[in-house]
Amino acid sequence: MRDTYHEQLAEVADGLIEMSRLVGSAVSKATTALLDADLGAAEAVITGDEAVNALYKHIDQSAVMLLARQQPVASDLRTILTGLRMSNDLERVGDYAVHIAKVARRRHPASVVPVALRSTMLEMGQAAARIAVKAGTVIATRDLTLAAQLLADDDTIDDLHASLLQALLDRSNDFGVEATIDLALVGRYYERLADHATSISHAVTYLVTGEHTDPESYAAE
Amino acid sequence: MAKRIVAKDVDAYYGAFKAIEGVSLTIEPKTVTALIGPSGCGKSTFLRTLNRMHEVIPGARVEGSVLLDEEDLYAPGIDAVAVRRTVGMVFQRPNPFPTMSIYDNVAAGLRLNGIKGRQRLDEAVERSLRGANLWTEVKDRLGKPGAGLSGGQQQRLCIARAIAVEPQVLLMDEPCSALDPISTLAIEDLMTELKDRYTIVIVTHNMQQAARVSDTTGFFTIDGPGDPGRLVEIDTTQKIFSNPSEKRTEDYITGRFG
Repeated sequence: MRDTYHEQLAEVADGLIEMSRLVGSAVSKATTALLDADLGAAEAVITGDEAVNALYKHIDQSAVMLLARQQPVASDLRTILTGLRMSNDLERVGDYAVHIAKVARRRHPASVVPVALRSTMLEMGQAAARIAVKAGTVIATRDLTLAAQLLADDDTIDDLHASLLQALLDRSNDFGVEATIDLALVGRYYERLADHATSISHAVTYLVTGEHTDPESYAAE
Repeated sequence: MAKRIVAKDVDAYYGAFKAIEGVSLTIEPKTVTALIGPSGCGKSTFLRTLNRMHEVIPGARVEGSVLLDEEDLYAPGIDAVAVRRTVGMVFQRPNPFPTMSIYDNVAAGLRLNGIKGRQRLDEAVERSLRGANLWTEVKDRLGKPGAGLSGGQQQRLCIARAIAVEPQVLLMDEPCSALDPISTLAIEDLMTELKDRYTIVIVTHNMQQAARVSDTTGFFTIDGPGDPGRLVEIDTTQKIFSNPSEKRTEDYITGRFG
């Protein structure tokens, strides 16, 4: 019954999965661009974002169409509401990957990351990419255990972000003003994109259970 | 095959009363067009001008023209009965012929058109019942009275009867208003299937139904009691239900008037 409608709903879910795949790979590639001063990788992230934005727009239009025409209720309604939120979050994750890639491009052929901070940055980049990919898996599987893990993963990023800032403020390190600003920004981008991935975890929890996650946990982020 | 309908400046009267005025629109083949609007806005009257059913009422007449592809249904010398064979109709309440079996209900129109021979009729009855998504439910009781079916099944029987004579256009006047929600969805699914072969025009009070099933939606309204109904806006259903051009359409579909 209502085959076309269910196909259209599935299309929204498929769009989100595709989007998460794209932004997951963009985050990894942006980290490569950053650490290896890889201009090709940076350019790929920047131009690749167009596909993410196109999917975002498509999901938006599909959602408006479904809401206007199909009167979705119950889990169908939550699929669309959370679909809108999640596509918004994924689009932002993609934008942060672009920001990171642009920093790498601006400093090319020099590297943004001084040797002393390489391992922190690498760890941050890897954790961020892992979170982005996991967010995609959570969307695809609606696995609440995995969704809960995402919140813990975000704590790792927050810790790394804090230690990065500490290193930047340490007077014995002199990275130069420009590099310090870039590093502070890049650290912030990773931290923010991980937050967007966490909010996907909340959205999936709401999608599955119909219960809003405790607002305390939002505030704690 | 499915035909394009072009209405040009159609007025319809009941005696001296002008029920609709100046309706012009184009309905593309193999699409579902929904006509919505408040009670008395003339949407059913307009629908009935599309197969010359309006003039069946004493004193009723139509001005303007309705073209089916290139042919004007109201040109002199056109046979109204032939028009109704080409442009089939399904009504609000399921109205199977009460004394006839399921089989005979579907075969009635074919026999009337001179189709004979058990095998030909059997084939056409099965094809029509399959087309109306009713075959599996009734194939073992084709000899039983059509009136013994559930409301939703009766309505699908009426659709089978309508498509048995292979019309090019199917008009539906509130085909689901007497049905429960599940039967309603079954009929709506059926419309989506039927539009591969027919041009479908449906009048419905149920805006959500119009939103769900149609490709194009037309909104009719009246300015006040005694005024003729007019077509306010017709556009893609997507546009009408997400961003209509006319404020009156917006007010109606959002429940602010009507």
